[in-house]
Amino acid sequence: MNRYERAALAAVGLMLVAAAAIFLYAPTDALQGPVQRIFYLHVSSAIAAYGCFAVVLVGGVIYLFNGSIAADRFARAGAVVGVVFTTVTLVMGMLWAKPIWNTFWTWDARLTSTLVLWIIYAGYLLVRRMAEPGRQAARFAAVVGIFGFIDVPVVHFSVTWWRTQHPGPIVVNDALPAEMLATFLFTLACTLALATVFIAIRYRIETLIDQKVNAVEPAEVIAAPQPEAAP
Amino acid sequence: MIYLVIAYAFAVALLGGFLVWSLRTIRELERIQ
Repeated sequence: MNRYERAALAAVGLMLVAAAAIFLYAPTDALQGPVQRIFYLHVSSAIAAYGCFAVVLVGGVIYLFNGSIAADRFARAGAVVGVVFTTVTLVMGMLWAKPIWNTFWTWDARLTSTLVLWIIYAGYLLVRRMAEPGRQAARFAAVVGIFGFIDVPVVHFSVTWWRTQHPGPIVVNDALPAEMLATFLFTLACTLALATVFIAIRYRIETLIDQKVNAVEPAEVIAAPQPEAAP
Repeated sequence: MIYLVIAYAFAVALLGGFLVWSLRTIRELERIQ
């Protein structure tokens, strides 16, 4: 078992403890019933996604500033993990909305801006996958990642800037009972730890892919058929 | 209740699947090297 697998095992263990807190410790919401327990991972995943996109932002800025390959790898890793956590946020939110709002989806500001966030970073990954690896693609992706981050505060403050069906902030407004707040904070810490492990693993993958590309390219040049000399 | 079960089942499948796939990718790439 390598160190990435050990870290993954520790993160999974933490998430299992968080699951126990969500299903065994946190009280059932009097108004919404058991479905309110979606809240703990739904909100934690959203905050983890913000953190991942902040990694893309910082990685992109550093890459544009000094051309650091490590910063570009961190940005790539952050984008992949951020899209995964945004997917969890969107799907869990839809499954929470159905029994409470009687619809899976509504085009309010919070849901729409979150979907736009997902599309921006899915587009970032598409650019990275389709473009020839190199500095041009990394520079273009860094710009997309930096400008894409503008949507993060839009998502976060959408519930206060506009009238939305999505509820406003409840954690910062002291609207949660102590047990629910403790469960949420613990789940958030575990989810952030999981996101950190994901980024470390993805960083390792990006490093190995870069090494593979760098190892293959010279061989391809050598193996490529040489043009025949003119008689 | 069914929505709660589906929501967490989806999260476990996606996050767990992503973790397993990523660890397998590391093993595969390290083996190639």
